Amino acid sequence: MKALCWQGKTDVRVETVDDPKILNPRDAIVKITRTAICGSDLHLYDGYIPTMEPGDILGHEFMGEVVEVGPEVKNLRSGDRVVVPFTIACGNCYYCKHDLWSLCDNSNPNAWIAEKMYGFSGSGLFGYSHMLGGYAGGQAQYARVPFADVGPIKISSDLRDEQVLFLSDIFPTGYMAAENCDITPGDVIAIWGCGPVGQFAIRSAFLLGAEKVIAIDRFPERLSMARDAGAEILNYSETDDIVEELKWKTGGRGPDACIDAVGMEAHGHGLAAAYDNTKQAMRVSFDRPNVLRQAIQACCKGGVVSIPGVYGGFLDKVPFGASFGKALTMKMGQTHVHRYLQPLLNRIQNGEIDPSFVVTHRMSLEEAPQAYKTFRDKQQHCIKVVLDPWDETKAA
Amino acid sequence: MTIITSSKNYAHPELSRSSDSSKLITAASVLGGTALAAYGITRRSWGGAALAVAGAGLALYGVNDARKPYSGKVRVGYTIGKSPEEVYAYVRNSEHWPKFLQGLAMESSGNDSLKLTFGEAAGFKVVSEAEITDEESGKFIAWSSAAGPVQHRGVVHFNPAPGKRGTEISVAFEFKAPAGPVARAVAMFVGWDPEQLVRESLRHLKELLEAGEIPTASGQPVGSRGFRGAALRVLYRETPAEDATKTRMAGD
Repeated sequence: MKALCWQGKTDVRVETVDDPKILNPRDAIVKITRTAICGSDLHLYDGYIPTMEPGDILGHEFMGEVVEVGPEVKNLRSGDRVVVPFTIACGNCYYCKHDLWSLCDNSNPNAWIAEKMYGFSGSGLFGYSHMLGGYAGGQAQYARVPFADVGPIKISSDLRDEQVLFLSDIFPTGYMAAENCDITPGDVIAIWGCGPVGQFAIRSAFLLGAEKVIAIDRFPERLSMARDAGAEILNYSETDDIVEELKWKTGGRGPDACIDAVGMEAHGHGLAAAYDNTKQAMRVSFDRPNVLRQAIQACCKGGVVSIPGVYGGFLDKVPFGASFGKALTMKMGQTHVHRYLQPLLNRIQNGEIDPSFVVTHRMSLEEAPQAYKTFRDKQQHCIKVVLDPWDETKAA
Repeated sequence: MTIITSSKNYAHPELSRSSDSSKLITAASVLGGTALAAYGITRRSWGGAALAVAGAGLALYGVNDARKPYSGKVRVGYTIGKSPEEVYAYVRNSEHWPKFLQGLAMESSGNDSLKLTFGEAAGFKVVSEAEITDEESGKFIAWSSAAGPVQHRGVVHFNPAPGKRGTEISVAFEFKAPAGPVARAVAMFVGWDPEQLVRESLRHLKELLEAGEIPTASGQPVGSRGFRGAALRVLYRETPAEDATKTRMAGD
């Protein structure tokens, strides 16, 4: 089959590889009909995530048709149309049973690597480095899905692929980010980053009852998409001091919750950014916490800082004193996708939201190397790329 | 409560005392170091003084090394979401041992006797005989090594975990292998660390008992690895997809 393989920093290639096989009794094989490129894939592309090896297959947002099931999978059959969550979870450990699926104890074959870094390992993920399982990802024509009796959700309605594909990652991620803000009526939410996760966070915040959402970015098409959702937009490249600007927009109180939907590759300008960039280039620190600093500084007293943005290692110069002094709550982590699959599918089926709004580019898997570059550099007003692994007509 | 960890049939000296390590290396260090020191002193110069210090250091290293066996104590705890009785029953059944034990193969050779084989996969087969010296169903199993160059003894406890979390399984043991520096070098080369092997074994045990299978990414499709990638394939315990068969148990 064809698959997109990581071959080094800013080097991804479509290669012909073996078809996946059933390896464990709870596996299933899915023929992928649509797959997407995630913002966190760009951290892999730019070489910031350790334990990647040449040949690793990328991709963790995918859906398709079941073609084979292992002997212990009783709820799925060949032909079922499924969306696959990007976190792999066993369903029977303490964490899965407590609805904390992305913290599964039993789904990372390389847990010892994550334990060395973090003390304990979370769940395995598709296509996201050997530290997080070394699982082959879904930017391919087929994928092997472990614990298929617990993960994939069956789609029996005639919703289009693009309407349900994002249940795999970005819709639950944005939704969990908004849910973590503990929104009560009248709340004002500030969201840094109007990429796909930010876009879903904006819409989810409104679904959860926020009164006002302030969306922060600098790319016109992303701000425009945010405005379409009803958010008030803030272009940070035209603002001297975002913290002051947010105070002004909230009657001097600050936003009730701040969402960092940017993560470790935050842009910035000025001295702080130069400091971060240098340290990251020297690999003295992994992450650039520009947005996190602003979010902490801007947040109102007693508010919540909700962090769906991915961080990998150690941060420097984070205003923890401000966080303590204002008694902030911080909520973060990989999305517990399994928790949200059915509730969000219900919302889509009820017509409350059509997730396909976020797609700007539709390409074939063959064009994926170019797609990564387009997505990373935000060329052609790119916001979200969806790939068709079976489209033979458009070769790179 | 006293748990018996001394074998009925074999008497060990204290495990933490020194034993014979590689005599050749230590002899070379001591002799070579002394010779170097003597030479340095006779030179009567600053360079000579430096050599003398280096020589003395080498001799001291040799002497210390001679006294250090490859030994240690290991303590690993793990929580499994099943009752202590269930976990005990699973662990006590010798048919399950190949499924979860990592880095060692263990067989029951009748009554309470065990045969442990280390390192066969790395081509360095070491056999150790052991016996279960004490046990209480659902509570603990204690063992001690009998014959063989590698000495070890320890105890596995099965305690109820707080709340409804199941069982806290804790493994504590001490071990000693001969040829201290050589054993350490070999262990580092093949990636043995007794504590890590115990931890991986307990992890596999938990995965089998809770999830019904050991997660694996071994045998899945992969693109071209290149030379370095092929070498690193060993580190991540991968096999190419074409070698994977449905009946292979993950974690082999």
